[in-house]
Amino acid sequence: LHSIYLCPIDPLQHADEFSGVTLGGAAGSSLDSAVLKLGLLYAQGVIRGGNARCRAMLLVYCQLIEEYDPPASVIGDLRPHLDSNLLKPAFQYWTEHCRPHSVSMGNAFTFLKSAVASLERNISLGELKEVLQETIEAYIRERMEFADKAIAGHVSCKIVNGDVLLVYGHSEVILKVLLQQKELNKQFRVICVDSRPLLEGRKTLLALREACIPCTYILLNCISYVMKDVTKVLLGASALMTDGSLLGRVGTACVALTAQRKSVLVCCETYKISNRVQLESITGNELGDPNLVYEGKQESLRMLNLLYDLTPSNYISGIVTEMGIVPPTSVAVLLREMNPNEII
Amino acid sequence: EKSNLKSNSFMSPSETVSLTSSDPSHVRAWLAQTSPKMLASLDQFELELRLGRLTTSSTAAARSSSLTSSRELGMFSTSDRRLVTSRTLELLKKIIGQTKWKSAAQLLLLLRGLGRELHSVGGFREPAIGNVVRRIMAAVREEALNEDARATAASSSAAPKPADTAPRRMSLQTMLWATPQPVKGIIHRRSGSFSSEADAFHMEMPASYHAERPELKQEVMEAIGEINSDLEDMHKNIDEQATKHIHADEVILTYGRSKTVEMFLKTAAKKRKFQVVVCEGAPHFGGRETAKGLAAAGIDTILINDSAVFACMARVNKVLLPAHAVLANGGLISPSGSNMVSLAAKSNSVPVVVVTGMFKLCPLFPHEGQDTLNDLVSPSSIVEYAEMNESLMEDVEFINPVHDYISPELISLYVTNIGAFQPSYIYRLLAEHYHLDDWKSFEE
Repeated sequence: LHSIYLCPIDPLQHADEFSGVTLGGAAGSSLDSAVLKLGLLYAQGVIRGGNARCRAMLLVYCQLIEEYDPPASVIGDLRPHLDSNLLKPAFQYWTEHCRPHSVSMGNAFTFLKSAVASLERNISLGELKEVLQETIEAYIRERMEFADKAIAGHVSCKIVNGDVLLVYGHSEVILKVLLQQKELNKQFRVICVDSRPLLEGRKTLLALREACIPCTYILLNCISYVMKDVTKVLLGASALMTDGSLLGRVGTACVALTAQRKSVLVCCETYKISNRVQLESITGNELGDPNLVYEGKQESLRMLNLLYDLTPSNYISGIVTEMGIVPPTSVAVLLREMNPNEII
Repeated sequence: EKSNLKSNSFMSPSETVSLTSSDPSHVRAWLAQTSPKMLASLDQFELELRLGRLTTSSTAAARSSSLTSSRELGMFSTSDRRLVTSRTLELLKKIIGQTKWKSAAQLLLLLRGLGRELHSVGGFREPAIGNVVRRIMAAVREEALNEDARATAASSSAAPKPADTAPRRMSLQTMLWATPQPVKGIIHRRSGSFSSEADAFHMEMPASYHAERPELKQEVMEAIGEINSDLEDMHKNIDEQATKHIHADEVILTYGRSKTVEMFLKTAAKKRKFQVVVCEGAPHFGGRETAKGLAAAGIDTILINDSAVFACMARVNKVLLPAHAVLANGGLISPSGSNMVSLAAKSNSVPVVVVTGMFKLCPLFPHEGQDTLNDLVSPSSIVEYAEMNESLMEDVEFINPVHDYISPELISLYVTNIGAFQPSYIYRLLAEHYHLDDWKSFEE
C-alpha cells in the first residue's frame, strides 16, 4: 500500500519521508464500504488519470446518495447533514489517507457542494436524491464525455494525412481523439513516448494497435532522436493553471520542451482548469513510492519519485477545450466563463 | 629527392613489397609479408574490438542485451574509455616499433591504413581509436618536418620549396598571412601514376616525406611516449580543476554513467559538501551505477527518473555531462537523453559543463544530425521479447539509440585535461592536435 505526501517546499530534503500507510483503522471505520474500496484503488494506483479518478469518485457519490438514509433527528433542512456526514468525510478520507486529490477531483467536489447548497431548503429526501443524481450524471456527461467529443472534433481539422503525431503516456481524451481520426480514415502514424516507472504508455500503445494505427514506441531518452520526423505533439493534462501552464504527468514538460518548433497541442476539458497559479514544478507536487525508482538500500542514496510537472505556457502552441482551440493566455477567461463558482 | 621518390614507387624485384597506398587490404598484405607477428597482434586487437571487450562503461551498459546483464556490468566499471585508447596506443607503438617502414610517407600510409582497418571493424563505435591514430600521424608529420628543417639547415642545398614548410600552428593569423599552400596536391599530380592504386592521399604529401630517415623511428616513439603520459595523467589533470567548478551547497545534476564525471565529483567531495542529483538514464540505467558509486563515497545523492529532469531543474545549480565524442563545431555526443537534459538546463539558465579528456575530440562535423556517430541497439531493454511476440506488438517500431547529439549553443564549458574551454574554441584545439591533412574520416 502506498500513500501520500504532499510535497513540502524542498523535497530534496524530505525525499525519503514517503511511507506506506495502512488503510482502515480508526479513520475508515465509520465509512461506507464503497468509499473504502475506492480509497484502496486510489492508494494502490489502480485508478490513475484525472478523468478516471474524478468519474470514479462521482459514481461512488451517486451510490452513496442513493443509499442515503438520514436519522430521524434530522428534520427540515437536509443539506448540512448531507454535506457533513456524506460528502465531506469521504473526500477527506480519500485525500488524507489514500492519495491527495487531483485538480479534477477537487473541482468536481466543489461543484457537488455548490449543487447541494443550491437545492431548495425543504426538499424531500426522494427529490433530493433524484436531483443530485441527475446533476452528477449530467456533470459526467457534459463536462467529460461531451467535452471529449467536442475536443476530438476541434483537433480533427488540425490533423492531416501524413501526420506523425507524438503522444506521451496515457490520456483518455488523446486516445479518443486518435481513435476518431482513425475512424475518419486519416493516414497518420503515432509515436508513443513512455517513461519509467509507471510505463503508462503501454496502455496507449495497446489501444492504438487494436485500432490498427501504425505506432512507434520509445522511452523518453529517445525523443531528441525522433523529433525531426514529428509534425505535431498531442499532450494530455491533469490540470491547467490560470496562466496557461500545464500540470501533467512528470515528463510532459520534457516532451514539450524538446518539441520546440513543432506545434504542441494540449487537450484538456474545461473542468480541469484550476484557479491556482504555480511557478515551478516542485511546490505542490506529489511524491510517489521511491522504491519504484530503484530498490536498493544505501547510505547517502535517496530516491525521488515525482508524479507531476509543470510545463510553462510558452512551450504550448494551443489548448484544445470543448470551447475550441485557445492560446494559453486565454485560460483565465475560460475559467471565468465555465466555472463561475471557482472564482472565490 | 626526386630519384628517391622513383625508387620507392617502382618496385624493385630484389626488395619486398613496398607500402604504396593506405588501402587496408594492401596494408595487411604488406604486414603479412614483412612482419606477420604484427599482423597477428592486429588481428587479436580487432577480435577484441568486435567482441566488445574494448568498450567503455557507458556504452557497455547500452549495448548489453538485458537489464540483468547490465547489473553484472559492475565488473566493467574498471574498464573505461582509457582502456580503448591505451590499448590502441600500445598496439600502434608495437607496430610502428617493429615493422620495417623506411620513410615518413610510408609510416603515414601505414597509419592511415591501420586507421581505416580499425574503423571498419568497429572503430566507428569508438571514435577514440581514430583520434589516437590521428594524434600519432600529427606527431609523425611534425617530426618529419623538424627533420627536414634540420637537414636543409645543415646542408646548403636547394632552398626548401614553400610547399614543404606548412605552418605548424594553424591560427587565424597564420592562415591570413601565409602564402597559399598547395597542400591538397593539385600541382604535384603526376601524369602516369606509379602505382595502379593511385592514392590521392599519397600524393598530397610533400616530397620531403619520402626521404628515408632512420632517426625518425626513435623520434616518433618518443612522441608516442608523450601521448601515453598525457593519457595516464588525464584524470589527474581533469580532477585538479574540480574545486574550481564545484562549490559548497550546490546541487549538481548528472546523467548516465561516466568514470570521468564520477572521479571529478569524488575529488571535489574531498574538499566541498554538495548534493548530486542523478538521472537514471533509462533504458540503459547507467545512472544507477553512478549513484551507487557516488553514495559509496559519502556524497549526498538523489536518484530520479529521467522524466523528472525538468521538474528538478529549477533547483539545480549545474549540470555535468559525460562525453562520448566532442565534434569539430563544439557539439557533443553523449548518452541518449542528454539533449533533453541540456534543453531543460538552457531553459532554466543552468550552465552545462562537459567533463572529458582531449582524446575524445574528433575532427568530424554533425552532418547527420542526431545520427552522427550514433548507433541503434536492441530494443530488448525497452520491451521484453515475450511481449514483442504478441500479435498486437508485431508491427510496432521500437527505437533505442545509444547517443544524442547536443548542439554547441546548449553547452557552457568543456573541462578537459588541458584546461577549460568554450565550445567556440574547440576548432583551435583541433588544429593543435591533428594535422589538417588527417582530418578526413577513416570511413572510405
